Amino acid sequence: MFKFKDLNIWHVLILIICSIFFIPLIFIGGSILFGINENFYHLYENLLLDYALNSLYLVLGVSCLVTILGVSTALLVTYFDFFGKKFFQWALILPLAVPPYLLAYVFTEFFDFSGTANVFARNIFDLQNDVAIFPNIRTITGAVIVFGFTLYPYVYMISRVALMNIPASVIEASILLGRNKIFTFFNLSIPLIRPAIIAGLALVAMETLSDFGAVEHFAIPTFTTGIFRTWTGLYDLTTALQLSTMLLLVVFIFLAIERNSRNKIRYANSNYENNAYKPIQLKTYKSSIAFIICLLPVFIGFILPVLELINWATQIDNIFSNKVFTAASNTLFVASLAAFLTCLLALFINFSVRSLKIPQVFNDLLSLGYAVPGLILAVGITQMFTSIDFWIANSNFFITGSIIGLILAYIIKSYAISNNVLNSSYAGIPKSVDESAQTLGANKSRLLQEVHIPLLNTGLLTAFLLVLAELIKELPATLILRPFNFDTLSVSVYLLASEERMFQAAFPGLVIIGFGLIPIYFLNKLILNKNN
Amino acid sequence: MKNFLSLQNISLDLDNKEILKGLNLQVDKGEFIAITGSSGAGKTSLLRIICGLESPKEGEILLDNMIIFNKGISVPTEKRNIGLVIQEKVLFPHLTARKNIEFGLSKNSSNESHVDEILHHLNITKLANKFPHELSGGESQRVALARSIVMKPKLLLLDEPFTGLDTELKSNIYPEIQSILKNNMITSLMVTHDLNEVKALSDKCFNLDSGKLIEI
Repeated sequence: MFKFKDLNIWHVLILIICSIFFIPLIFIGGSILFGINENFYHLYENLLLDYALNSLYLVLGVSCLVTILGVSTALLVTYFDFFGKKFFQWALILPLAVPPYLLAYVFTEFFDFSGTANVFARNIFDLQNDVAIFPNIRTITGAVIVFGFTLYPYVYMISRVALMNIPASVIEASILLGRNKIFTFFNLSIPLIRPAIIAGLALVAMETLSDFGAVEHFAIPTFTTGIFRTWTGLYDLTTALQLSTMLLLVVFIFLAIERNSRNKIRYANSNYENNAYKPIQLKTYKSSIAFIICLLPVFIGFILPVLELINWATQIDNIFSNKVFTAASNTLFVASLAAFLTCLLALFINFSVRSLKIPQVFNDLLSLGYAVPGLILAVGITQMFTSIDFWIANSNFFITGSIIGLILAYIIKSYAISNNVLNSSYAGIPKSVDESAQTLGANKSRLLQEVHIPLLNTGLLTAFLLVLAELIKELPATLILRPFNFDTLSVSVYLLASEERMFQAAFPGLVIIGFGLIPIYFLNKLILNKNN
Repeated sequence: MKNFLSLQNISLDLDNKEILKGLNLQVDKGEFIAITGSSGAGKTSLLRIICGLESPKEGEILLDNMIIFNKGISVPTEKRNIGLVIQEKVLFPHLTARKNIEFGLSKNSSNESHVDEILHHLNITKLANKFPHELSGGESQRVALARSIVMKPKLLLLDEPFTGLDTELKSNIYPEIQSILKNNMITSLMVTHDLNEVKALSDKCFNLDSGKLIEI
């Protein structure tokens, strides 16, 4: 138990770090104290209901789609053996490598009147050139499809692990009591994994509400596009901050649901010994149906956009242009630096919790940053930096618009990822190892350098790669906080797509997907270990 | 030297349960003390208090005429020069047996020959370049013992250190350990359930019961 008399320099240092993490949010929340201006009234009377309803439709639509896609595929690959199952076990996670904004750009072009899909359909059915089979994708339904096919892996992964945790004896007991397999799956397996599904859905809802690139491209007025337009169109940062506060409150409700459901998952699994149910072999047409059900989300969420991007990339002469090279090197520089600092911070905090009696609550608080939408974080950091510039540099832009803001946003957003990895790596080192080092005369610094770091090196590398992959595809915070004339891959793709230059945007898009495959590798390893 | 280690009025509560109650113990330099007692009596906690991994509620501990713990002073574990060998696997998994043994030593040639000597005495020379995962339970225990002894600690604490070693090996290494400890005048406190160990190694034996030590 932490006592006030134990307070030392480390506590002060960690309090300062926590403050840096939370001051941007305090600036956002504090905006409600400034009162409401005429812009807010204008939004309230004309747009706020649209923002709320569109966001609600999106969250509901995406939730339905990801539940259907995620749970059905998880049930199939866990309880059945069919043609291609081994491939789908890992391939079903692949769409996670494609950021929603990228799929939105690809789909817009692909289903356009003169896009690949309509041209292909006209050729197949020998139709006139003015006929379009596929409708315009730039609608809420289109956005639901885009989010659904890129975010369903969250529900798939968490449901799959939960299903694997249900022991054979529970399923067999139901069958021995005279219930058939379909009844058992729907009345036993699904209720048992319900907390897992809800946790996955809460994550999907947070991602959907936080998105900026896809909804902006589809011109759907939501809270994120509203915040962006209020700030960059009406030049009203206060109203943008007030809108951010409203969105942040909704996001934190989903965060609370997610945390609560995760606790229930632990409770639901606690009484069982892990002895997975033996899959049923599907034959003939049943195997083909299972194959098609699993292929559909992988095809739409990964194979199709990748093939289309490759197709576009091959149609321009110089894919390695100077601009792409500069954007790639900027991306690698800023993402690597932020990933390094994030891992260093996570190492320092986890070491402090383990060896310096720092309460775990600090670590939990710092991990909340992942839930804050990138756009809101960017608005908060900008407000914080302009205030600092006002105090120290008499309103000259000293740190506002510098790379510091971008790095800070990246660290806050990705701390939870590196913390999760290091936390579990630390759990693998017995406390007695630390005590041995101490009794052998090692002080804290030597304990960290010569015992912990060598033992954590795999965890540190994993955390670095996962954070790097996450940051490379980050768009909204990067778009706002990047220094002047500093383009990254995601920003290049956004700018090129907004100018309808998709062929040029294809190669940077493929690089982003390539980096996005890194966490897929680790996630698959995790699930396969669980399976074995 | 009389009263090389002195524990005065040591009390400890764990999870609102009184484990040690006004415990006193005096140990002379070079003595080997064995402590027995039922499970949960507080034997391991007593050793953890002496080496500083846990703090008692009250009391005073003196080692070599220096206060290492009282109400106002608590010398950090790493500065007490007290070795601890426990029954769990505590070798650093990323270091070879030899590197584990050298961990607490500064790098010089006399230390290297000292390590060779310890390796020889504990019959683990062949294991020097092996990693902990390549060692059996008994071999790991001997390396852990060597790692503590090589430091020439003022006080060596042993918490059931020979668990996992076969009877023949134990009877071979008892005299070796005794001779190393006596030659280096290392004062030792061992917690054990094995009466053969008590007979083979200890000068005095105490039973820990109801939070107090009674000499048997």
